[in-house]
Amino acid sequence: MVPTSSVSPPETPRRNTLLRYLAGFWALILASYALAWANVPLDRFPDTWYLGLREPIDAFQAWVIGHRATHPAFVYFFEPLSDAIDWALRGVEGQLLSLPWYVVVAFFFLVALHAGGLRTALVAGAMLLYMGLVGLWAESMQTLALMGVSVLLSLAVGMPLGIWAARDDRVDALLRPVLDTMQTMPAFVYLIPVLLFFGVARVPAAVATVIYALPPAIRLTNLGLRQVPRAALEAAESFGATPRQVLFKVQLPLAMPALMAGINQTIMMALGIVVIAALIGAGGLGREVLIALQRQQVGRGVEAGLAIVALAILLDRVGESLSRQVATLPGQRTRWRGFALLPQSWIRFAWARAIEEGLRRLGQGLLASARVLARLLGWPLGNQAQSYLVRHAYAVGSLALLLVLTGGGAVTGWRGFPPGWSLDLRTGVDAAVVWMRDNLYQLGDLPIGTGPLSDAITLYLIVPLRQALLRTPWPALVALAGLLGYRLGSWRLAWTGMGLLVGIGLLGMWDKGMDTLSQVLIAVLITVALGVPLGIWAGRSQWGHLILRPILDVLQTIPSFVFLVPVIMLFNVGRVPGIIASVLYALPPVVRLTDLGIRQVAHETLEAAVSFGSTSRQLLLKVQLPLAMPTILMGLNQTVMMVLAMVIIAGLVGGAGLGLEAVIGLAKNQTGRGVEAGLAIVFMAMWLDRLTQAWAERWKPPRGTA
Amino acid sequence: MSVPNPSVKVSCRGLWKIFGPRPELARERAEEGLDKAQILETTGHVIAVRDVSFHVEEGEIFVVMGLSGSGKSTLIRCICRLVEPTYGQILVDGQDVTAMDEGRLRELRRHRMSMVFQHFGLFPHRRVIDNVAFGLEIRGMAKEERYRRAREVLELVGLQGWELYYPQELSGGMQQRVGLARALAVDPAIMLFDEPFSALDPLIRREMQDELLKLQQVMHKTLIFITHDFLEAVKLGDRIAVMRDGELVQVGTPEEIVAHPVDEYVQAFTVDAPRAKVLDVASVMHPAAESGLPSNPAPYTVAPHTKLEKAIPLLVQEGRPLLVVNEQEHPVGYVDWKAVLTALGGA
Repeated sequence: MVPTSSVSPPETPRRNTLLRYLAGFWALILASYALAWANVPLDRFPDTWYLGLREPIDAFQAWVIGHRATHPAFVYFFEPLSDAIDWALRGVEGQLLSLPWYVVVAFFFLVALHAGGLRTALVAGAMLLYMGLVGLWAESMQTLALMGVSVLLSLAVGMPLGIWAARDDRVDALLRPVLDTMQTMPAFVYLIPVLLFFGVARVPAAVATVIYALPPAIRLTNLGLRQVPRAALEAAESFGATPRQVLFKVQLPLAMPALMAGINQTIMMALGIVVIAALIGAGGLGREVLIALQRQQVGRGVEAGLAIVALAILLDRVGESLSRQVATLPGQRTRWRGFALLPQSWIRFAWARAIEEGLRRLGQGLLASARVLARLLGWPLGNQAQSYLVRHAYAVGSLALLLVLTGGGAVTGWRGFPPGWSLDLRTGVDAAVVWMRDNLYQLGDLPIGTGPLSDAITLYLIVPLRQALLRTPWPALVALAGLLGYRLGSWRLAWTGMGLLVGIGLLGMWDKGMDTLSQVLIAVLITVALGVPLGIWAGRSQWGHLILRPILDVLQTIPSFVFLVPVIMLFNVGRVPGIIASVLYALPPVVRLTDLGIRQVAHETLEAAVSFGSTSRQLLLKVQLPLAMPTILMGLNQTVMMVLAMVIIAGLVGGAGLGLEAVIGLAKNQTGRGVEAGLAIVFMAMWLDRLTQAWAERWKPPRGTA
Repeated sequence: MSVPNPSVKVSCRGLWKIFGPRPELARERAEEGLDKAQILETTGHVIAVRDVSFHVEEGEIFVVMGLSGSGKSTLIRCICRLVEPTYGQILVDGQDVTAMDEGRLRELRRHRMSMVFQHFGLFPHRRVIDNVAFGLEIRGMAKEERYRRAREVLELVGLQGWELYYPQELSGGMQQRVGLARALAVDPAIMLFDEPFSALDPLIRREMQDELLKLQQVMHKTLIFITHDFLEAVKLGDRIAVMRDGELVQVGTPEEIVAHPVDEYVQAFTVDAPRAKVLDVASVMHPAAESGLPSNPAPYTVAPHTKLEKAIPLLVQEGRPLLVVNEQEHPVGYVDWKAVLTALGGA
């Protein structure tokens, strides 16, 4: 044998790109001839191609309204379902509102104390107090009830589906594109069909929330189950476990961390749609924000918006600490606990030890009296019951405390949040906004201020781009979409993109779609222009990281709608506030992922570059940015999707385009119009999503890099 | 070494495992004589196990050895049908495992066969005792009883006192003891070992091997043991099957394989073998029928199955050839320095 000393690289597949471009070019020419021959106008999307979905849908709506009381689908399915959800919502809401407010606070405080310690408990308490202090206690409880019921329903539907998808690849393959589509759809789009089937009231709001929050529940259950190590499954199987036993004894326990993450994300998704759900009849905090938005009462909107943020923080922190407790494998938890109740670190304080001892004695006393009481009732406590009580002393004690508090409330009649306790944010906020409007709108006669900025964006960015998009012959735009798809991905992506764009035209939404597209492009441009430099700063300097992180955290928890309120005040009604709000809303992922991408670059790689004498600038341009590119482009994908969602929502405040169309459809109960706009939004979302994802994919380095 | 019990416990007949959508194509190619790589190239099918037949006696330690990718892990998984065989039969106590429905297969796994895994395959969410009791739990045994049994087995493998720990709190060697205890707890007649010790460091590995041999002296179970380590195979195996590219190349006792490797592949393994410990005098002697008998033999004689490591000191002491005698004290041949050194030299 002759030893082969050199390894020749595998031949790279040589695509005959020139040939393909030529083919594409000829196809375009032929297509334009064909169109000209068929007398199809090139400047506007031909009206004759309009599919006219509107009429059949409206007819269907009329049929639904006419048959709601008689058709079996409604009588035996939608109505009972609707009644059941309504019953649950009313029940939970009534329960929460009938409890004295301090019992609710105490409940969250005790749960948070047990799961996450004193700090979490104090945060939870503070968040609830804020809701009461700004006078939104009842609204907050309504929203909490809506959250609770919707999230439970989402999990009840999502987890079994996730389990099914994890066990059957065909189900997984079937669900995946559906979930992908659901997650790219702006929340707005859900409302229209839900409204059709469930009528206006709190129920459609709950249903919309359930559907919106469903994907993470399914996804993370599926993912968690699939991540269970093959070895554990094989071992269980080798001992003759049935599929059921494998699921309950091995898969589900091991998937716990992912399941808990799924629950947390489900809650956050549900909160994200609170305001939008108010559009179709959800009360509570969402309604407050919506009213404030419509009446341009910034102070009121900020108070309610912050209450939503407070609710998000409350549920996120408590949920996260609960899941951390469940998700850590028991062996990693401290095996020894000196204190049953107080934080372990306090064990060095004498007073803490005294309290703990007192609590322990109290517990023993309570247990003894429970024993006596039980014997008197002729229901002696067995050993098992006693050890159960001891093991769950915290839960039992907390429950007892809550009962006592509730009883106390019944006696004293204290229920609602005391009206005397209030925090007035709105006067200050309103004054600040008025000052800003008066003083920042325009500085004297100078062309500086929010007013001129708004005009400039409109005049020099929005109008020209929209005009350009509308004046370019539509086949050229479609072809451009195809070319882009081919360059960034594959022929398949090219065809999909072209199909989706033509689809928007066929829905009769070409002009509106281009209007929306122009707003999205401008907002993305501004977001990237601001976000990438900020991200680079955060990635390369510890200071930048420390300063930006809390700001981004806050921006990310604020529901999209809340951005609109102050922005309108400063930037007039129209397309600009939507764009500004989109930029604020979509900034965090770009900054964050740029930061992350730069920080992820291996230390060794940087050292290597520095050892060759790179300047800081060369380091950034030649090493850090290229390696961070896939991550940054992932951020871009998220940004595009968030911007689109926001631009659509801005339809509520006069941001023209598909959003406005959907809002009108929703407001005037013109379902056909709404569905057309909604479908066009979905097409646009899918196209932008695929395109940006393909771009990110292209930048991924070949396999095997660190 | 003689086979302790002549009754066959497990046998494989014409077993194939082919990965890919149309196994019949790949099998045809294989029967035309193409090798594994050629078949992968032309059909895209991977032949993991290729027409394997063997039988394992009751109470025997049967070792399957081969390099990684030789199909030995797939083979052992076919035996308990964790991997579904494509063609062929597996008989356990005369019953065809490949024909069993799910219920009977489950019964087989629950009561008659258990497995120890390469990376232990322990359940990280269960305490040691619940890991060990797992097989009993899924059979539906009551808690008290299965814990009692689990404690017994844990004591057997030297892990008493560790019941309430979690596997990840234990060292690698201890974790594999848990794996072993888990397999022992169900008291199976047959135990399958999928490279159980290869993830352990050499000292612990040797300790575990000794322990397994010690346990086997008491248990007399039927063991099928996979390894890529020839020394381990020689040390543990009553018989060894050498695998390459999914085929059995040679099956035999350790001394047969060391003394008479069928080809270069097998011989390459035997180079490192401690030949003096493996080979017996019968395999290296000058047979009486060919060479006659020496004129001045030593006053001592040796039995045919005496290992060389025992015979060498006698040769050193006497400086004269040793007669090899059978049970009737009849000389069948002799060993001298030349015979011993030739054998040890690996020629």
